[in-house]
Amino acid sequence: MSTATTTAPRARATGTYVTYAVLALLAVVYVMPFLIQVATSFKTEADAAANPLSLVPSTATAEAYRTLFSDSPLPTWFANSVIVTLVVTTGRVLFCSMAGYALARVPFRGRALAFAVLVAIMAVPNVVLLIPKFLVINQLAIYDSYAGLIIPLLADASAVFIMKGFFESIPASVEEAARIDGAGTFRIFWSVVLPMARPAVMTVIILSFQASWNELNHFIVASQDPGLFTLTKGVAQLASGALSQGTQYPLKLAAALLMTLPVALVFFVFQKRIVNTTTGAVKE
Amino acid sequence: MSRNRTSLASVAAAACAGLLTLSACGGGSGFDDGGSSGEGGDGKITVLIGSSGDAETKAVEKAVADWSQESGTDAEVTVASDLNQQLSQGFASNNPPDVFYMSTDQLGGYVENGSLLAYGDQLSNADDFYPNLRQAFTVDDEFYCAPKDFSTLALWINTTKWEAAGLTDADVPTTWEELADVAAELKQGEQPGLAFSPEYQRVGAFFPQAGGAMTDEQQTEATVDTPENQEALDYVQQLLQDGSAQYSSTLGAGWGGEAFGKELAPMTIEGNWLVGAMQNDFPDVDYTVAELPAGPQGKGTLAFTNCWGIAESSPEQEQAVDLVEKLTSAEDQAAFAQAFGVIPSVESAAAAYKEESPEVAPFIDGADYAQNPPSTVGAADVITDFNSQLEGLADGDPAAILESVQQSLQATVGQ
Amino acid sequence: MLPVVVLLGLFLVAPVLMALWVSVSDWRGNGSPFGGDVGFVGLENYRQILAGGGLAERDFGTSLRNNLFYVVLVVPLQTMIALLLAVLVTRRSLRGRGFFRTAFYFPSVTSSVAITVLWLFLFSTTGVVNKILGWFGLNGPAWFQDPRGVLHLLLGAVGVDRAPAALGENGFLGITWWDWVAGPSVAMSAFVLMAVFTTSGTFMLLFIAALNNIGDEIEEAGLIDGANAWQRFRFVTLPMLRPTLFTVLTLGLIGTWQVFDQIYTGTQGGPAKTTLTPAYLSFQSAFVNQQWGQGAAIAFVLFAIIVVLTLVQRWVLSEDRGSRGERARADAVRAGVTARQQGGGVAGGAA
Repeated sequence: MSTATTTAPRARATGTYVTYAVLALLAVVYVMPFLIQVATSFKTEADAAANPLSLVPSTATAEAYRTLFSDSPLPTWFANSVIVTLVVTTGRVLFCSMAGYALARVPFRGRALAFAVLVAIMAVPNVVLLIPKFLVINQLAIYDSYAGLIIPLLADASAVFIMKGFFESIPASVEEAARIDGAGTFRIFWSVVLPMARPAVMTVIILSFQASWNELNHFIVASQDPGLFTLTKGVAQLASGALSQGTQYPLKLAAALLMTLPVALVFFVFQKRIVNTTTGAVKE
Repeated sequence: MSRNRTSLASVAAAACAGLLTLSACGGGSGFDDGGSSGEGGDGKITVLIGSSGDAETKAVEKAVADWSQESGTDAEVTVASDLNQQLSQGFASNNPPDVFYMSTDQLGGYVENGSLLAYGDQLSNADDFYPNLRQAFTVDDEFYCAPKDFSTLALWINTTKWEAAGLTDADVPTTWEELADVAAELKQGEQPGLAFSPEYQRVGAFFPQAGGAMTDEQQTEATVDTPENQEALDYVQQLLQDGSAQYSSTLGAGWGGEAFGKELAPMTIEGNWLVGAMQNDFPDVDYTVAELPAGPQGKGTLAFTNCWGIAESSPEQEQAVDLVEKLTSAEDQAAFAQAFGVIPSVESAAAAYKEESPEVAPFIDGADYAQNPPSTVGAADVITDFNSQLEGLADGDPAAILESVQQSLQATVGQ
Repeated sequence: MLPVVVLLGLFLVAPVLMALWVSVSDWRGNGSPFGGDVGFVGLENYRQILAGGGLAERDFGTSLRNNLFYVVLVVPLQTMIALLLAVLVTRRSLRGRGFFRTAFYFPSVTSSVAITVLWLFLFSTTGVVNKILGWFGLNGPAWFQDPRGVLHLLLGAVGVDRAPAALGENGFLGITWWDWVAGPSVAMSAFVLMAVFTTSGTFMLLFIAALNNIGDEIEEAGLIDGANAWQRFRFVTLPMLRPTLFTVLTLGLIGTWQVFDQIYTGTQGGPAKTTLTPAYLSFQSAFVNQQWGQGAAIAFVLFAIIVVLTLVQRWVLSEDRGSRGERARADAVRAGVTARQQGGGVAGGAA
């Protein structure tokens, strides 16, 4: 502590108040929209238009939810989203951990190439691939089927990276011990290494869940049958007025809210882990 | 052992690479779980419609089910949430529906790429359709598909507000001047007297009233930047600048009908499809409908129509034509008219409908002088572009707008 | 090993080759694009969008302009706000840190579709934002219906409401220079705010990690020199954040050129095409208007733009060697991961 600190305490206190004030204001800006969304979904349409800001409906009604569940295809969309998300998440954990292990530990010719391809694929933006995706899905005769919705999402480069990174951090001695006991590569992977990788697997599960639940553009080009709509595609078309005339904000906001709930749930349950993975990954 | 390891590695790497490319580019081992709809050759007719609501869906489903029963052929109705996109993907994936709604502005493109079966003249009632509807679906003298019904635009008036402003039946405008006057009279502060959607499909009704059109009758020449059309746009622009008219979007409504139903404006320009919406969504609003006022060159309106398209590649063409024959029969069309307020495309049925429901008379009368929107290949894009320019009409330059649309439309008719 | 190479080639190269073929063919979306009746038209589709003189060129030019202004606004804004948030929540004595982090990060985990629906409501004519503006006596615009360019509005306010002759007559890609400088439309501005809202949380986490890495010692070092808080931040912290800053800028640059989900859900390119983006235009040309060749061509041109920008970025990074090189490379890997997850440009999820 030097001479400079004599004025510091007061300045610091002021600074702290300013910080809290700014943070509180920002928090309101970030949180308010979601609170308004919840409130509006229970309003009548007239109320929503007249008092968009109020957080308490003047006459609370669950009409929007009733309409969504009994008079709209939303339950189908929800079911499809659940199916796709579950299969994709399971698939990604399996395939991406295997691929990550192969890239990290199994020496084979072409490993460098495989890795290069991985990096190259990561660089290609998703929206550029809408037309190629459609053409290939079509050519393979999986257009307009669950297979078309799911298979192309099964592998994910970032998941492979996360698994590869984790496997590289495991000391080789563990596998050596297993190998001496006569276990094959797959045995070692399945019963020794994978169980150790639980934290990384959890990360992949969370990321895959979010990514596939929120996916939109792949579903747009992979199907047209309304029976195969997922929540994102259904709600997007609901929003653009395809299924209804008029603004119907309470209805649309309720649908958007229902769509947000599962990811919100996962987020709040695992938020420590999510925030730590993200920051940790950059930390190296 | 080492051999073993390498092969496992290859498999894993191959799986990984394959799957990854899938994730990026789509692709895969390729299996079909049979979830796709409308495979050819199974004797089942798939019908894809873009529905205005439950009433329409149920009416079409019922008509198709009746046909199924009579003919013994399975048929399934699917309601598209985005008809253009679904139809386009259906054809591109080689798996189009057998029978579907086809709009005039998409017609050209589908005719050109050979998607549509030209079956119109096979129908026994081919000559009963309104001539200008038949014309709308005729390309190079081939009558491609049967108009399923039609709608025209008219002037909708909120009678409560009308009377509150001290106006009577005698004040219903029949000329542009009168329209401008009552719109100004009905204007209240920020609220305009007239509201309509910002698109050619509404604003374009003023063109024929001024003697203009988008193209010549054979659609071989674009006639957008004519003095007549300019006069019409100037007139609309004036209404917008005076505040006596406003776009529905400016009022926060999705379309003119919503602005009218929510009483954001006492008048709108909409078609007969609004009848059903008023009944269901805004039953408390009292209204009356009049023909659109005449411009310097007389009466004018726009006609909108869809046809029952049949896919050229449909394996069930004969059955499909048979189904359409029934769906366009006077009997079925009368039922559709009752159910969701469209006007039958065969004259005899339309006349009967007018007798039964005199309130739709202004729409049916409009058929005599209605213009069809352009239907050349690429016209849909041009209209979309036109609409986007019309959104800026209030502060825009009508001459410049018409000139740019002229250029784009001319590029489509010359083909 | 040969099968692996073959597989790689098949799965990576084939789809892109297919699309490449479509982009030089006259396939109009009926039947197989590889059928006998589909013709080769050379670079015609590319010519149509780059120099056709028609609607296709004008649409492409418009979409580039729209997206350019979007990028120019979103990238700096989201970076600054993310950095601000990170600095605020990493203050040592802060209480409720977890709450603030959660609040700022939450928008990033929700889907872009849900956020767009919410935004349409907040920014509707009688919506929340206009209500709040009303408290200050301001008459808010009709946001998503308002095609007026923000720069044009500003110029109009100082009396320039018509194009100067030099700008009004000449142009590029079918758009006059006057229209190029229109700025983002009011509608696009609402999307800009949305992008900042949804991505600042993700980038905040990257900055938090970097700030934690830097640690307290450096700040202490700054204290002893008698520097004030701003000087410490400006001359000590910020330079150390450079690699992360680069990462965030790269991610932003790549992500913001891929605006699709919001447009599909919200405006479909309107009003007056001022929210049309190359990604959406490519989709619309192919999947709605059956101009598959042009759609594919637009996608490849967009890809080229993104590649060039990434290379420029890499070149800038390579200037920045030394101890930070390793970190920068690690960041670049993360960059790829997040960029892919961003997909539509926003709401990338936990990257």
